[in-house]
Amino acid sequence: PAVPNGWSGEKDFKAVGKLSAATARNIEPVGAHFLAEARRKRHKRTFSEDERI
Amino acid sequence: MKAFVPRVEYLIELSRASLFSTSATWPAKKPARTRARIKEERWRRCATFRTRGVQGNVDAKTLQSPKFLDMSAEEEQPSRVAIGISFGNSYSSIASTVGGGDPKVIANEEGDRQIPSILAYVDGEEFHGTQAKSQLVRNSKNTVAGFRDFLGKDFKSIDPTTARGAAQPQEHESTVAFSIRDSESESPSTVTVSEIATRHLRRLAASASDYLGKKVTAAVITVPTDFTQAQKAALVKAAKDADIEVLQLITEPIAALLAHDRREDHRPADKTVVVADLGANRSDVAVVSVRGGMYSILATTHDYAVGGLKLDETIQEYVAKEFVKKHKVDPRETDRGLAKMRLESEACKKALSLGSSASFAVESLANGIDFTLNLNRTRYDMLAGKVYGRFVQLIQDAIVKAELDVLDIDEVLVSGGTAHTPRIASNLGSIFPESTQIVAPASDAAAINPSELTARGAALQAYMIESYDTEDIDQSTHAAVTVTPHLAKSIGLVLTGDEFKPIIPAETPLPVRRTVNFTATSDSEAALIRVAEGIRDIKITQPEPKAKQNGKATDNDEDDDEDEDSEEEDEEKRETMWKVGNVVGELALKDVKKGSKVTVQVQVGADLEITMSAMVAGKSGVKGSVPGSAANGAAH
Repeated sequence: PAVPNGWSGEKDFKAVGKLSAATARNIEPVGAHFLAEARRKRHKRTFSEDERI
Repeated sequence: MKAFVPRVEYLIELSRASLFSTSATWPAKKPARTRARIKEERWRRCATFRTRGVQGNVDAKTLQSPKFLDMSAEEEQPSRVAIGISFGNSYSSIASTVGGGDPKVIANEEGDRQIPSILAYVDGEEFHGTQAKSQLVRNSKNTVAGFRDFLGKDFKSIDPTTARGAAQPQEHESTVAFSIRDSESESPSTVTVSEIATRHLRRLAASASDYLGKKVTAAVITVPTDFTQAQKAALVKAAKDADIEVLQLITEPIAALLAHDRREDHRPADKTVVVADLGANRSDVAVVSVRGGMYSILATTHDYAVGGLKLDETIQEYVAKEFVKKHKVDPRETDRGLAKMRLESEACKKALSLGSSASFAVESLANGIDFTLNLNRTRYDMLAGKVYGRFVQLIQDAIVKAELDVLDIDEVLVSGGTAHTPRIASNLGSIFPESTQIVAPASDAAAINPSELTARGAALQAYMIESYDTEDIDQSTHAAVTVTPHLAKSIGLVLTGDEFKPIIPAETPLPVRRTVNFTATSDSEAALIRVAEGIRDIKITQPEPKAKQNGKATDNDEDDDEDEDSEEEDEEKRETMWKVGNVVGELALKDVKKGSKVTVQVQVGADLEITMSAMVAGKSGVKGSVPGSAANGAAH
């Protein structure tokens, strides 16, 4: 981590840029981690919601 | 092999949430799906979380099926007995996770784990596997082999040479069929490839049922990555006709990876893996990005002409030449001689994968002459050099197709029968950097038998989904679920001196959440946490000019030149470097004391919204997010 010099930002946060466009790819529907992901998707849950259940 | 190696002061820990579970043990026993049981499970799960709090560890047990029951239908379903089937052109195998433990490849009644995909008929009696294979010599017209790739295709688009030495495929309506005498009647009947596949699958399921003591009703079957929808549909139908419910068709490289990753008793790493499936009459390579235990295929290559059979042929040719030299007859001229040579060449090749020499011995090879010959591995490797080269080329092509470099590859997993060849592993070792792990029996003592990988993977998947409703499986594997945005570039932190530390590698499916922990190395009023995209670069260091040699040896210039040419390639050093790309956001963290623990969390949504937060242990932290670029995905 670097030390700032004359740096300021609202609530100590500054948005600088955006992410590059994502690539659409196919996840292989295999394995425990995929099944967990599929469940989150179908229930439209976020990670933290999923953990709470 | 991790994509990045944490240095001493950074303890990078992947987020528990994104990885969700350890790959530890599956539950030893699966609960029966009764209503009472479901209730109890739910209650227990709630109780655990109540006592442990929200932060509780989510272990493999809770990840298992009960969660899916949340929304599944209340009625009971007859329980399935599901196995994993690896269905190949040449060999098939069956596997099951007995009692929820490790997947185990099941041997058939003949004791074979690699069961030849061959059926033969003698006076109406059906032979299968190794017994059918031996019929290729005496009864080749009523023996069917090499038929998997004919499924779901019309006659014009098939390559009939895969059925070499056995009954020839013929056009029949819109499909492919064989004319064989499969009953006691004298006249041959026309049997479609679908019916052949059904009979083959029925025999496989029967062997598994005998072993398990329970009737097998369902299966996960592996298919090549380039299987078309028509081929998949034909396979599902053939299985259905054999009374096997296909829970899911999974691709061969992913099945192999699943079985391989299961072996590792730690959290799944982020890695890029090349899976090379070296079969008998075809070879398939897939470059796979593994992120948080999820698999995405980046590129595939196929070679339908190279495989183990080509290696058999090199032995055949060598032996045939020796035989001609001695006896002036070519044993390949008669069908029977050729069939005998094929079987023995394969046996000889297998022996050469294990030992340093093997004997090729056939009784009455041609003109009633017996023939014995010793072959050592050095000679064999020399004869097979060209074929080995094609395997390596296919793998290199796949990496180029994925727009990657050999330096980006963390592991090479070789599966399929031909992967037993020791020389292939060592040839691969020479094209990849030392950091790349070549997973094959010859180079990795802990490697799983490459012939068993796909069947084991299928068995694991079968175990994971066998209690789900068919509807659940179909919905979960639907494209709406599987097509996912993947990060185009790696995201990481910018460190002092513009050094870049990746946190989330490129090609990670979204949404994703990752956390890194590190310890501050010095006191500061405020530390700046910069989150940026990273650009992977390959730094090539040219060998230093050899001033010494030029000064020392002027009398043998020619030799020097040659040396330099040959050494240049060895000494050119290529390494992965990171450059800081587009900076996304900055966070200022106040009052960071030396030795205090700092946690940085980065979360990227499916809409590319990126949320970052930084926290010093015991204090409140900073948080911020940069909105994504919505549906069109144009970020610039």
